[in-house]
Amino acid sequence: MHQAIQIAVGGLLQGCIFGLLALGFSLIYRVTAAVNLAQGAFCIFAALVTSSCEQAFGMPVMIAGLVGVAATAALSALLGAAVFVPGLARLPGSTMFILTVGLLTILQGASLVVWGSQSYTLTTFSGERPISLLGISIPTQGLWLIGVTIVITSALALLLARTRMGRAFRACAENPLAANLMGIGVRRMQLLSFVLAAVIGGIAGIVIGPITSFQFDTGGMYTMFGFIAAVIGGIGSPLGAVVGGLCLGLATQFAAAYMSSLFSNALALSLLLVILIWRPSGIFSSGPARRQDVRDEPRIHRAVIRLGLRRGLLLSAVAAAGLLGALPWGLQSGGLMSSVVITAILFLAVIGLDVLMGFAGQVSLGQGGFMAIGGYTASILAVRYDVPPLVGTLAGIALSLVCALILGIGAMRLRGLYLAIATLAFGLLVDSLTVGLENLTGGPSGLVGIPSFSLGGFVFDTPLRNFYLIAAILVVILTVLTAGMRGGFGRALLAVRADPLAAAALGVDVRRYKIGAFCICAALGSLAGSLYGFYFHFLSPEMVGTPISFQMLAMLVIGGEGTLFGPLCGVALITLLPTIFQPLAQYKTMGSGLLLILCALYLPSGIFGTAITWLMRMRPERGGVLAVRRSTP
Amino acid sequence: MNAPSEVPALDIRGINKTFGGVQAIFDASFSVAPGTVTALIGPNGAGKTTLFNLITNLLPPNSGSIQFFGQSIGQMAAEKIAALGLIRAFQTARIFPGMTVLENVAMGAHRLMKVPAYRQMLLSSAARREERDVRRRAEMLLDIAGLHGERNRAASDLPMGAQKLLEVIRALMAAPRLLLLDEPAAGLNDTETAELAAMLGAIRDGGVTLLVVEHNMSLVMGVADQIVVLDAGRTVAIGTPSEIRNNRAVIEAYIGREDG
Ligand SMILES: Nc1ncnc2c1ncn2[C@@H]1O[C@H](COP(=O)(O)OP(=O)(O)OP(=O)(O)O)[C@@H](O)[C@H]1O
Ligand SMILES: [Mg+2]
Repeated sequence: MHQAIQIAVGGLLQGCIFGLLALGFSLIYRVTAAVNLAQGAFCIFAALVTSSCEQAFGMPVMIAGLVGVAATAALSALLGAAVFVPGLARLPGSTMFILTVGLLTILQGASLVVWGSQSYTLTTFSGERPISLLGISIPTQGLWLIGVTIVITSALALLLARTRMGRAFRACAENPLAANLMGIGVRRMQLLSFVLAAVIGGIAGIVIGPITSFQFDTGGMYTMFGFIAAVIGGIGSPLGAVVGGLCLGLATQFAAAYMSSLFSNALALSLLLVILIWRPSGIFSSGPARRQDVRDEPRIHRAVIRLGLRRGLLLSAVAAAGLLGALPWGLQSGGLMSSVVITAILFLAVIGLDVLMGFAGQVSLGQGGFMAIGGYTASILAVRYDVPPLVGTLAGIALSLVCALILGIGAMRLRGLYLAIATLAFGLLVDSLTVGLENLTGGPSGLVGIPSFSLGGFVFDTPLRNFYLIAAILVVILTVLTAGMRGGFGRALLAVRADPLAAAALGVDVRRYKIGAFCICAALGSLAGSLYGFYFHFLSPEMVGTPISFQMLAMLVIGGEGTLFGPLCGVALITLLPTIFQPLAQYKTMGSGLLLILCALYLPSGIFGTAITWLMRMRPERGGVLAVRRSTP
Repeated sequence: MNAPSEVPALDIRGINKTFGGVQAIFDASFSVAPGTVTALIGPNGAGKTTLFNLITNLLPPNSGSIQFFGQSIGQMAAEKIAALGLIRAFQTARIFPGMTVLENVAMGAHRLMKVPAYRQMLLSSAARREERDVRRRAEMLLDIAGLHGERNRAASDLPMGAQKLLEVIRALMAAPRLLLLDEPAAGLNDTETAELAAMLGAIRDGGVTLLVVEHNMSLVMGVADQIVVLDAGRTVAIGTPSEIRNNRAVIEAYIGREDG
């Protein structure tokens, strides 16, 4: 009993943090109908600034904290005005999501450059000695945390309910156009909500700082849990955010205490998946019902690029030749050859994402999870049961398809970004399983001794052989997919993306097409994961974890979604450049975040799409086969 | 063979729909004979579009039955209804942005394309033939509509009027058995309206049953075989154009109000 109470206290404290983060998500969602995945990064940024002020300038922690909050406010105002608000005005919801992934990445990358990869902690606000209440010990910092949570929650509730600003926020959420007509500066309100949410996150980070340790990429984890808490509570509802946070905190702490700390995340994520399927709008749902026959996503901002089949084949030949051209280099230095193979494998997985995102318009944040399933299934079968690589690979694909079907059927009933949320939960769940199931997967230190891929006695044991294997697979996949995307199947996917309702009115089974695209995406991810394992002879959770999922999204957007070939540019840029120019490696994360944001905002068809558009402008007489026009938002 | 007039193309019985306490459709009942043009008229907000949404099941009705060529479609998903050949065009054109004009039209053929996706991917000859036929038919329709020159443009670049026309062509591409058009003449000038009237006649003569929402009375009187008048969700009158022209309730409810 005593122990249970002690655990509950721990859960409560954890829940406060999740709740504060969820509050930020809800606030932004209410005003802008967008989800800001950079939320957790502001939290860590504030804590890191505070820590530097403490250590470098010897400030007392409270003063340093104020500086941290001020810095967070300034940074978020800058990023909000330069990136988030302009994005809202012209990007569709799915790209907006990716844009905030870019913000998260850039913040983490910049923190890596400034603060390095060591971990930090803060001094407690009022001494180290925990106080003891009826035999239960509570760190004083915990009391601070609870106090801050109560103050912020009530202040925000008051703000929303009682003040003019709160009413203006609500008006923006319900009908931005009308709000604009009523003289409410919608853009200003959007920026304000973004900054306010970042500040709340920053305060949370500083208050939790003394009882935890943090480093440049801890923000990603805070983002996940804050987001999950917001979804559990019902995104958009401030009360729900706090309750969702507390539920999540208690659930993870109890799971950690009574089962295993490795599975506490798995439990939280299962909770999320159950809630998503059982009560998709969360425990406290909010938000007005919309008219079904009115388009809910009028912002489409993308050039229309079409390649004829012959040109598609030509291009894949060029791409293959380009890769082959890279060979002589690669042969000289083993490292580069290896990077070329990695590029090709990741390209495979990102093509899958392109089918899902670029054509069907759905976002998956769990492509790494499918790589993990494919990778671990094939590797474990090969290492422990001597199953031939090909069979193992196929088994991985089959398992991935089963997962994709379950997730898809659950999530596709729902509108909007639910697939994104469900795949995020799925990816994190797979992460925690690959780490947790040590006997099977080798745990955090990875699985060793994976054999090379072999086919009928021929062993692909050198980088060069692997390269030829993967290049051949790529040519087949690209040919098949180009044919599919150019025909009725791809057309229906595009229609589903552009206007699901109008597509249904023409007889398209929208759910089936979305699930079909998701299955293709999952199968390619799984295949890439298997090849990864066979190539490295080693597989660890971080090679196929959620950060990789995010990175692949960046590669897709940078290369150009909806182009099938474009992802190669994105993958090559992010994988090869840091290998060729070693000094760049440190800036890799920040650079990919920056590129992602720039492309999302200014090159909506990515590097590849823009290049094609540009080339075709130069030869207008060929316009018959290929159409290039900018569509107006 | 049954005489086509025995089973109505569309038979609506006692449809009701409320939106949060407001009755938008009140006990609507009428039927549409195959091969005819029925016009649905009524003042703004009468519930015409809502009725279309109920027929195509984009909104579920509160009660009532809907039959399409004798088949009950009240509980059917929107895409299943479309697959049967009941196709609609929307009041504000819902072309697919991000797709070319030709692709938009080809999309109309979706319900007719039978070769499964995996065979398209494997470039089977059946799939290639099907795709070629669809494209040829799409180009033909675009040619008739005078949009052939625009076929490779992004559909969202077309002016509003052309987008509405495009949507009608897209619907025709589906070889509909019953076609629902929501204010096709909105925004057209007099000559274009005359062309539209001729086009509607041609569509009907091609064996397609039409149900058209329209405000332009001269168009309605010229082309309709039957007129259904809706006012504030209630069916005020059903009859031939000449009956409707002289119906006092209609003049009061609709024409009278619009003038005054
Ligand atoms: N999904 C919905 N939710 C709430 N109210 C709705 C919905 N759809 C329609 N209405 C209301 O039902 C009434 C009928 O609207 P409807 O759009 O069917 O009219 P209409 O006859 O098509 O008018 P118009 O000639 O202007 O197109 C209106 O008062 C409208 O506001
Ligand atoms: Mg209408």
